[in-house]
Amino acid sequence: MFFWRRAKQKKARGLTSLTNSLDTNIHWFKQDIFANDETIIYRRFRTGDPQSRACVLVFAEHMVKHEFLSEHIVRAMMQGPLPGGLHKDELITYVTEHIIHSNGVTVTGSFSKLSELIVGGRGVLLVDGCDLGIAVDAQGWAKRQVTEPPSENVVRGPRQGFTEDLGGNVALVQRRITNPAFKTKFMTVGTQSNTKVAVVYVDSVASQALVDEVIDRIEKIEIDAVLDSGYIQELIQDSPYSPMPTIGHTERPDIVAGKILEGRVAVLVDGSPFALTMPYLFVEAFQSNEDYYNHWVPATFHRIVRYISFFITTSTPALYLALISYHPQLIPTNLVISIAASRQNVPFPGIVEVVAMGLVFEILREGGVRLPRPVGQAISIVGAIVLGDAAVSASLVSAPMIIVVGITAVAGFVISPLYNTAVLMRLFLVLTSSILGFYGFVLGVMAIVIHLASIKSFGVPYLTSMTEFLGQNVKDAMVRVPWWRMNLRPKYVAAQDRKRLQSAPGRKNR
Amino acid sequence: MKGRFVLVLLLSCPLLLLCGCWDYTEVELLDFVLGAGLDQVEPDFVVVTEMIKTSGSAQEAQVERVVLTTHGRSLSSAARALSSPAGRDVFWSHAQVFLVSEEVARGGVLSAIEYVVRSRHMRSTIYMFVTRDCTVEEVFKSTPPFNDTVSEHLGVIVDLHAQVSNFYPLQVWEFAQDLNAEGISGTLPTVQLIHERGEMVPIVKGTAVFKKDKMVGWLDGEESALFSLLKGRFQRNHFVMETRTSQGTYPITYQIMGNKVDIKPNVKGERPRMSIKIGLQLSVVEVGHGAKISFQDEKEVKSIEEQLAHTFNRRTRDLLEKLQLEYNADILGFGQLLRRKEPDIWRRYSENWECVFPLLAVDVEAKCTIAFTGLYSQPIIVRD
Repeated sequence: MFFWRRAKQKKARGLTSLTNSLDTNIHWFKQDIFANDETIIYRRFRTGDPQSRACVLVFAEHMVKHEFLSEHIVRAMMQGPLPGGLHKDELITYVTEHIIHSNGVTVTGSFSKLSELIVGGRGVLLVDGCDLGIAVDAQGWAKRQVTEPPSENVVRGPRQGFTEDLGGNVALVQRRITNPAFKTKFMTVGTQSNTKVAVVYVDSVASQALVDEVIDRIEKIEIDAVLDSGYIQELIQDSPYSPMPTIGHTERPDIVAGKILEGRVAVLVDGSPFALTMPYLFVEAFQSNEDYYNHWVPATFHRIVRYISFFITTSTPALYLALISYHPQLIPTNLVISIAASRQNVPFPGIVEVVAMGLVFEILREGGVRLPRPVGQAISIVGAIVLGDAAVSASLVSAPMIIVVGITAVAGFVISPLYNTAVLMRLFLVLTSSILGFYGFVLGVMAIVIHLASIKSFGVPYLTSMTEFLGQNVKDAMVRVPWWRMNLRPKYVAAQDRKRLQSAPGRKNR
Repeated sequence: MKGRFVLVLLLSCPLLLLCGCWDYTEVELLDFVLGAGLDQVEPDFVVVTEMIKTSGSAQEAQVERVVLTTHGRSLSSAARALSSPAGRDVFWSHAQVFLVSEEVARGGVLSAIEYVVRSRHMRSTIYMFVTRDCTVEEVFKSTPPFNDTVSEHLGVIVDLHAQVSNFYPLQVWEFAQDLNAEGISGTLPTVQLIHERGEMVPIVKGTAVFKKDKMVGWLDGEESALFSLLKGRFQRNHFVMETRTSQGTYPITYQIMGNKVDIKPNVKGERPRMSIKIGLQLSVVEVGHGAKISFQDEKEVKSIEEQLAHTFNRRTRDLLEKLQLEYNADILGFGQLLRRKEPDIWRRYSENWECVFPLLAVDVEAKCTIAFTGLYSQPIIVRD
C-alpha cells in the first residue's frame, strides 16, 4: 500500500515536458532521469549577446563528437549575436535557423523524447526561458572500417562488407542502387535497447504486400533488446520450429542489392553486420554472388558442384553405414574385402563409429572456429594428426571412416548457408539408415523432402523453382543461364516491373 | 491435450530402438565366399568353397584365401554346414563362380543349380563351369599366377572372353533358362588345370555339352570358339589358317573384327531345313614364314577370302555333325528358332525333336571379307 502510494506520488510529481526555468529542467535531468549516470555532461555557458542568456548543452560523453559540439553549438552560441526581444519559440527558431550549423536538428519539449535523443548520441541545447530543447545530431563513436567480410570471401567481386553502423550499411546498399525507387524505412525495436532497424527494398519491383508484411511483423516485436539481426530473424521468420533457414543473412552489400533488385526485402539492424533478406528459398543456399560475376558456364558447373556437395555432406555417412551394415553385397567385392580388413580390429559397431567420428569433427570445428587464429591451427593439427592418424593406428576407428568423415566435412563447407542444417540432416539420415538400411535412408530423405515442400517463407513455397523443369524460375536454379537469357526477374518475388534486361548488344555476335 | 500428445511421442521413442535393426550385421564379421563348387552328389553332397580371410591392422590389410570342404545331404545343408568350420557368418552374395565336377555334371546338373538359382544369397549372375580332368577341390587349391583367388582368376578370364574366345561363358540364370526352354540344350564352359612352373594353374577352355541336365560330351577350344561365334557373341579371336597364295602355302593369323550370324529355319520343302549364314569381317594379324603376299592384289585377297569362307563352312559342318550325330544335343537352339519362327511346324516335331534333330539338314553359307591388314599392306622383303 505504501509503495503504491509512493509510486503514485512520484508520478504525480514527475514532469513530462520542459519548463521555462533552465535550472528546474537541469535539476530534473540530474536528479531523476539521469540520476547516477556519470556519462551525461552538462555544459553550462552563456550567450555572447548583451542579454547573456544561460544555456546548457546536455550530451552523453562517449556518444558524441566533441569538436563538433564545441565548434558548432557552444562557439556559435557564444559568438553569435542573438537579437533582443525574442521569446521562447521565436528564440528557438532563430537559433536553429541562424546559429546551429548542423543538418540534423530536432526541436521538442518532451522530457522522454529528449532523454532518448541524449542517450542516442545527440547534443541537447537548453536555453533559459524556453520550454523547448534543441537536439542536434552529433553522434560519434568508435566505428569499424569497411573491410572484406570475413564470413563470405570472394575471388571475384566487391570487397566491401557491412559494419555495425546502420547508416553506413544502408549507404553501402544505396550506393549500388542510386535510384529514387530505393526505399528505406527506419523502425525502432527493443524496449530497452531502442535499436534502429532499417527495412530496405526497391519500390518499383517489390510487392507492396510483402513490404507491409515485413514491416508489420517487425512492428509487432516486443522484446527488451535486439543485439543482432539474428534476434529479428528468429522473431519474424516462418516455420520457426524448422531448422531450415527461411530468412537469409549476408554480410555483403552486393548480395543485398542483388536480392532487393529481385524484389526481396532486406532488413538491416543497427549493431549487426548481417543483413537479413526475405523471402529466402532453398535454392538461394546454392546460389553464390560469384556465380553472377563469373562466366555462366563455370558458374553453372560450380553450382552443380554445390548440389553434389550437399548430397555428399548429408548422405555419405548414412549411405556408408547402410552399405557396411545392411547391404555388403552392393559394395564391389574388392572394396568390401578391404573395408572388412580395415575394420577387423575396430571394437565398435558401425553406427557408433559414424556417430562418434561425426561428433569428434563437430567438436574440432566448434573448438577451432572461435579461437584466435594461431590456436585454431593447433586445434586442426591435433585433429588431423592425433585424432585421424593415431586413432586409425590404434584401431579405434577404421581408415574408410576417416575418409567418409573427411569428405563429409569438406563438402559441408561448400554450402555454408546450410551448414548447420546439413549437420542435423546428416545425423537424422544416419539414424534412419542405421535402423533400416537403404530403406530407412530413403524414408528419411522422403521425410526431409516432405518437410521442405511443406514450409513457406513469406508466402513463397520453400522449394520454389526446384520443383519445376521449365520457365523463367529454373534459369537460376540448377543452372545459371547467361545474363542475356535471364531477362525477367524471378516471378515468385518480383511483383512488378519484371523485365530486368532490355537489350544485350553482344547477343548478335555470339 | 498437448501434454498427452508429447507423452505419446516420448513413449513411442523407445519403440524405434526396441524394434531391433532388421538384418544389421557388421561387415568385418562376415566371411566372404568368392567361389564355390560341387564335387560330388552321391552319397553326400561335397561342397568346396573358396573364402577370403581378412587380417592385419587397419592400415595394412592382409587377405588370404581359405578353401574349405563340407558335406551335407543337400547343397544347401552343405553350404550351411560351412559356418561352423568358418567360425563366422558366411556371406554368399559376393560369390562369382560356381564349379561343377564332371561327375556331377554327367549325373545331372540340376541338383547343383536348383539351390544356386533359388537361394537369395547367391546371385543369378554367378558364372558356372564344369571341371575337366580334375576335381573342384583341385581347381580351388591351384595357384593362379597373378590373382589372389581362383574365383577372381576365373572371373577375369570370363571378362577377357572377347580376346580369347575358346569358351562360351554363361551365367547361371542363362544356363537355367536354356535348361528350361524347349528346343535348346545347355552348355557350360570347362575349367582345366595346366602345369606352369611346377604349379597348377586353372584355365578356361572348351565347352561341356548337355543334353537335358546331363552332360554328354566336350567341345575343344576351337570348336568352342566357333560355337561362340555361331551364338553371335562379339569376339576378337585370333586363328591361324594355312593359306594358299600364288607364292605358296603359308600360315596366316587372322583376327575376327566383326561377326554377323543369321540362323533361320527354311520350311519351303517337305522337311524343315536350317540355314546358317555367317558374315565375317577379318583382319590379317600376322603373316608367317616370310610369305610374300601383297594385299593390294585384289585377286589374291579374293582367293584368301574364298579360302576363309570355305574353312568356316567346313568347320561349321564338322561341328554340326558332332552335335547332331555324336551328342544329339541341340545347343545352337535350332528347335527354339523353329518354334519362334514357325510354331505350326514346330508343333509337329516337338514331340520327337530328339529323333528329328540328328537328321536335320543344315545349309551353311559363310562370307568372309578382309577389312584390314595391319599397318603394312606390303610384305617385308629381307635383303642382304
